[in-house]
Amino acid sequence: MQARLLWAREGLTRALRVLRQVVGAPDYERYLEHHARCHAGTEPLGRHAFYADFVSWRFGPGPTRCC
Amino acid sequence: MRRFLSGITWTAVGVLGAAGFAMLALRRGETVSAAWILVAGVASYFIAHRFYARYIALKVYALDGRRATPAERLSNGRDFVPTNKWVLYGHHFAAIAGAGPLIGPTLAAQFGFLPGTLWLIVGVILGGAVQDFTILVASLRRDGKSLGQMAKEEVNPVAGMAAMVAILAIMIILLAVLALVVVNALKASPWGLFTIACTIPIALLMGWWMKVLRPGRVLEASAIGVTLLLLALVAGRGVSLDPTWSRWFTWTGPGLAWGIIVYGFAASVLPVWLLLSPRDYLSTFLKIGTVLCLAVAILILLPPLRMPALTAFTDGTGPVFAGKVFPFAFITIACGAISGFHALVASGTTPKMLMRETDAPLIGYGGMLMESFVGLMAMIAAATLDPAVYFAMNVPAATLGPDAASAARKIAEWGFTLQPGTMEALAQQMGEATLLSRTGGAPSLAVGMASILGGVMSGPGLALWYHFAIMFEALFILTTVDAGTRVGRFMLQELGGYVWKPLGRTSWYPSILLSSGLVVAGWGYFLYQGVIDPLGGINSLWPLFGIANQLLAAVALCVGTTIIIKMGRARHAWVTLVPLAWLAAVTLTAGWQKVFATDPRLGFLAHARSLVGSLNTAAPRMIMNDRLDAALALVFMGVVVVVIAASAREWWLVLSRRKAPVVHEAPFVQTAY
Repeated sequence: MQARLLWAREGLTRALRVLRQVVGAPDYERYLEHHARCHAGTEPLGRHAFYADFVSWRFGPGPTRCC
Repeated sequence: MRRFLSGITWTAVGVLGAAGFAMLALRRGETVSAAWILVAGVASYFIAHRFYARYIALKVYALDGRRATPAERLSNGRDFVPTNKWVLYGHHFAAIAGAGPLIGPTLAAQFGFLPGTLWLIVGVILGGAVQDFTILVASLRRDGKSLGQMAKEEVNPVAGMAAMVAILAIMIILLAVLALVVVNALKASPWGLFTIACTIPIALLMGWWMKVLRPGRVLEASAIGVTLLLLALVAGRGVSLDPTWSRWFTWTGPGLAWGIIVYGFAASVLPVWLLLSPRDYLSTFLKIGTVLCLAVAILILLPPLRMPALTAFTDGTGPVFAGKVFPFAFITIACGAISGFHALVASGTTPKMLMRETDAPLIGYGGMLMESFVGLMAMIAAATLDPAVYFAMNVPAATLGPDAASAARKIAEWGFTLQPGTMEALAQQMGEATLLSRTGGAPSLAVGMASILGGVMSGPGLALWYHFAIMFEALFILTTVDAGTRVGRFMLQELGGYVWKPLGRTSWYPSILLSSGLVVAGWGYFLYQGVIDPLGGINSLWPLFGIANQLLAAVALCVGTTIIIKMGRARHAWVTLVPLAWLAAVTLTAGWQKVFATDPRLGFLAHARSLVGSLNTAAPRMIMNDRLDAALALVFMGVVVVVIAASAREWWLVLSRRKAPVVHEAPFVQTAY
């Protein structure tokens, strides 16, 4: 029972992560993972700062959506 | 054995597709089921993807699964993120899907369902999907460079400048025409306007939620936003029935135009996280959800097509917009068949997220096929309407006359019967005051969608489905308007920076206000002219949009051809040259006819001439507007010719070995996967 709940929760987390990638939403956990992998010594951005940074480059100069 | 089975399967798919086309093209007199459009389309898409896309991937671009993509080499957890190909497919499709594939086919249905359907299927396979795929691969190999940069570097600076002009021009026209569609859909519609007006405070709430209260929680905020939006949709019925509230939300065309202009300016200068970003997420969720629901509903219902395969209007006497089926069917349907704007998106976020080069065919080619499928669904939705109702809704009042009786008489002249009381009953069913002459494509699409969705799920009632469809379209059109204004603003700031340095500083407020103001003034002007145009505005603006869009596609295909030739694969360059030649023929013919045709319904200058000496007080302004539209069309035609000439020169120089073919790709690095 415990294992099944864990499996369901794992599936849900993964599904939500996919949904975030499809709509272009920020994924803070993935950023933290990347940061731990590649910039292990330094302090990662806080959630607030990460979102502000994300939004400013995502809706930057180029067109993100078509007509 | 496996090859044998594969051969059998694909032959079967081919036969099925051919049967679909045969049913569509050869049946006369009996109603054809929408199923045949789906069969012909889907079978063609699968075959094209399996054979043509694969051929282009292997022989033309030599995509290499062992080559590290920029997502892998430059991975930064932000924009360069290797993404699973199916997830990226969804992401790319969500980026390219918009109002275009819905409106274009709806308008083109005036020729009957066959021309539009054939163009949607054949055009995307040979043109649109090839273009998207080409630009995606080109940008992928150049670490995510944009179309303008590639045009400048790979072709020559003239082509780069032409690309910039084309992009800015298409942006202005696109925003004007989409805003016009929204104005025509929401005028004198308190329910619709109330629901759309609610999206602004809802977006502000979401913005605050995602920035201040629960940073970065987009899914949460979107769930709240969608729920509130659906509540606003339901509340809209109450608004439309209450005398005071409905009066407050009943606006005229010019009033709405000013409203959208003010909104567009405000949304593009306010911080992105406050309004633009939440609206983008809200509309993306709604877009994906609605497209899925519509697809499922059409598959379940398989409604019969009541519009004939070909109408008499292929000869150019069409009341929805003027022009013969060639070239105007191919101009009216841009997104869904071939759309230059997609080249901008295909060189945007997607190339930076490809995990492997060999994923590109699915995402670039396949993504556009899906968009074409959306176009097919819109064509089905338009063709399932009673043709008399379709024309009653899409033809401007200047032609139909002031009331249902005069409309019925006019429609009878065209050979269709509008039963008395039909339009009144339909309007009441949909919760609107009137549906006559609601031009722009959105209301008739909404009626079609409401009957299809309502046919499967009758619970909510047709009026709710109709207003849901209107809301869904208006929401993501307005999101395109504010995002597009922002993109236009960045471009103007970049150009302005060459003239006076401080203008180029993107966060300097005076520069922001000035450039946003200019962009909004640009599309606002065309929007306003379209709103007061007695012919409804779509008549003149949509062809200009189509021409501009295909001009940009021509630029993209020129870049693609140049790259193919420089890669030493000139004998395969026909894959981009064939659609380029077609586009040039269509765009230049259409542009020429819009400027020089002697029929005042078709030619801008002829229309201006017919107004000279008119007693109408608006005549001088309409004459000036006609001349401006003609000038714009000439500019577009000029840019097409310049780009093709500049590119052709490069091709000749390289092919005759007068110039060494230098390809500016990123160096080959072996993948670690």
